Amino acid sequence: MSHLSAENVSVAFAGLKALSAVDLQITPGRISGLIGPNGAGKTTLVNVLTGFQTPSEGAVKLDGEALIGLKPHQVRRRGIARTFQGGRLFRDLPVVDNLEVTGVGLGMSRRAAIAEAEAMLDWIGIASLSSRIAGTLPYTDERRVAIGRALMGRPAYILLDEPAAGMSGPESKELSALIRRIANDLGCGVLLIEHNVGLVLGLCEHIVVLDSGAIIEEGPPASIRDSEKVRHAYMGTAANTDLPVLEVME
Amino acid sequence: MSAVSSATETSLTGEVIAAKKQARFALARKTIVTPILLSLLLIAITLITVMTGSRPFNQTVIDVLVRVIFVVGLYIFIGNSGVLSFGHIGFTCLGAYAAAWLTINPIMKSSALPGLPDWLLQTRLIYWQAAILAALFAGVAALIFGKVLMRLSGIAASIATFAVLAMINTIYSNWDSVTGGTSSVVGIPIIRTIWPYLIGAVAAIFIAWAHAISRSGLALRAARDEPTAAAASGVDIPKERLVAFVVSGAVMGLGGALMAHSIGVVTPDTFYLSLTFITLSMLVVGGMGSLSGGVIGVVLLSALIQALRWMEGGVSLGDATFALPKGIQEIALGVIMIVILALRPSGLMGNREITLTRSNRNT
Ligand SMILES: Nc1ncnc2c1ncn2[C@@H]1O[C@H](COP(=O)(O)OP(=O)(O)OP(=O)(O)O)[C@@H](O)[C@H]1O
Ligand SMILES: [Mg+2]
Repeated sequence: MSHLSAENVSVAFAGLKALSAVDLQITPGRISGLIGPNGAGKTTLVNVLTGFQTPSEGAVKLDGEALIGLKPHQVRRRGIARTFQGGRLFRDLPVVDNLEVTGVGLGMSRRAAIAEAEAMLDWIGIASLSSRIAGTLPYTDERRVAIGRALMGRPAYILLDEPAAGMSGPESKELSALIRRIANDLGCGVLLIEHNVGLVLGLCEHIVVLDSGAIIEEGPPASIRDSEKVRHAYMGTAANTDLPVLEVME
Repeated sequence: MSAVSSATETSLTGEVIAAKKQARFALARKTIVTPILLSLLLIAITLITVMTGSRPFNQTVIDVLVRVIFVVGLYIFIGNSGVLSFGHIGFTCLGAYAAAWLTINPIMKSSALPGLPDWLLQTRLIYWQAAILAALFAGVAALIFGKVLMRLSGIAASIATFAVLAMINTIYSNWDSVTGGTSSVVGIPIIRTIWPYLIGAVAAIFIAWAHAISRSGLALRAARDEPTAAAASGVDIPKERLVAFVVSGAVMGLGGALMAHSIGVVTPDTFYLSLTFITLSMLVVGGMGSLSGGVIGVVLLSALIQALRWMEGGVSLGDATFALPKGIQEIALGVIMIVILALRPSGLMGNREITLTRSNRNT
C-alpha cells in the first residue's frame, strides 16, 4: 500500500531539539491531523517531509523508498505538495498564474498549465478570482488559492500548514468541506496542521499530537479528545470546553 | 484528480476545441504589444536621426541603440531573477573581442594578435555573421560561469558576478598575444549606418519578450518574488536562473560586438566599471522589473547625458558662455539614480509594461 512516512525523524537547531524521533504516516485518500501548541515542531516536520529541512536523524520514505537528499522541487515533482503558514502567494501575479507556476514547475506547457489552473479554480469554487492580483486578495481567498496552487498536477499528498488560521466559523466550515473533497474526490493523502482543534477532530481519522518536538499522543479523534496529556499540553485551555466545537486559536 | 481532469477533458470536446486552438497564441498576442511599442519608439528615433542627416547625431543614436541592447540584456537576467549582476559587462567584452577576432583584416591580425590560432587568423567574416558568433560565444561563457554562480544566492551571487567581471578584465588585459593586452585592438571595420544597430536592439527586445513569456521566465519571476513557494511548486530555481543568465549573456555579447563595430577600437577597460555603472543605472532608473523600464531608462538617461555633454562643451547665452565643469555627467547620473531609488525604488516604470490599454503588470 502506498504511503508517505517520516521514520524516527529528529531535527536539532543549534542545541534546540525541534523534533525527537518522530514517526508519522500519511495514506492516499485519508486525512491525518497534526496538532500541538506553538513551537511544537509541526512546521519543522512538514519541512522535513518536503525537502526543505534535512533531518539530523531518521528518514522520509515514499512507498518505502527513502527520499534522501532530494531538493524541495524534486520532492514536489514526486507528488508531495504543501502549503505555507501565511500563504506565500506570488503576490504580483494574477491568481491563475499562481497556479500556473506549479503546472510549469511540473513540466507542463504554459497553455496546458493555464487550462488546468482554470479548471482547478473552478473545482475549488473560486473561478471568479482568476484574474485578480494575488496580493490584493483577502485572507480566506489567499488560503484557497494556496491550496489550489498545491493541488496542481494531482499530487498524491498535500500537507496543509494551518489553512484555517484567521478564518471565521463559517469560513472554516467551507474550508473543511474543501479538505474533505480533496481526500475523497481527488484521492489525495492529506496532512492537516491546525490550531483549530475542532476542525481537526471533525475531519481526521488519525491525529498525532506533538509537544516540544515529541509525539505525546496519537489515535482516532475520540481518544485524542479524551486524552489528559493533550489537555495538559494545551495548558488546560481545553479542559472546560466541549472539544468537538472547541476553537483553540493562536 | 477526477473532478479536475474531467473538467479539463469536457472543455476539450466539441466546439470548445476551436477556442482552445485560438488560445494557443493568446498569451503571445496579449503581451506582444509591449515589444512592438518599444521597437516603434526606437524606429521613430532612428528615422528622425536619418532625416536630420547629422553625423554626430547619428553616432549618438547608435550609442543609444547599443546601450538598449546592453540594458535589455541585463534586464533578462536581473529583472526576471531579482539577482543583481555586476558581471554582465564581462560578456560584452567577450563579444566585442570575438567580433574583433573574426572581422579584422588577417594581415593586421597576424601582426597585432599573433597568439590567435591559425584558423582564426585566416578567418574574416562579415560583421553580422561575426556578431551572431560573438553572441553565441558570450552565451557559452555565461553557461560555464553560470553553472557555478547559480548555486549561490542573494548577495553571494551578486558578488560572484563582480568577480566574473574582474576575471575577464584581468585575462583580457594580460593575454597580450590574443587580446593585445591593455593596448587598443584597432582595425575593426566601422559600421556607420544606423540600421544594423536598430535591428540588434529590436532583436534584443524580442528575445527578452520571448524569454519573459516562456515557461522559464514565468517560473523565474515567481521564484524572484517567493523563492520558497516556487521551490515547493516544483520550480528548479538554479536551472531557471541559468537559462536567463545564458540568454542575457548572449544578448550582452551581441551588444559588445555591435559596440566594437560602432567605434572600431576595443580595449579591456572599455568594458569595465564605468560601462557597468552606466548600464546598471539606466536599468535601475527605468525600473528593473520590466522590459519597458529598461528601454525607457536608456532613452531618458541617454538624452540627459547628451544634454549634459553639450553643456560641458559650453552653451552661449547672449554674449556669455556657460560651461558645466567636466565630470558633471557622472555626478548627475549618480544623483539621479539616488533620487529615483529614494522616491521610486522600483524605477520610473515601477514594474509595469507599456501597453495600448494602460500600463500593465508583467505576467
Ligand atoms: N530555522 C530554524 N532555526 C532555529 N530554530 C528554529 C528554526 N525553525 C524552527 N525553529 C524552532 O523550532 C521549534 C519548532 O518550530 P516549528 O515552527 O516547527 O513549530 P510549530 O509547531 O510549527 O509552531 P506554530 O504553531 O507556531 O507554527 C521552535 O522552537 C522554533 O523556534
Ligand atoms: Mg508552524
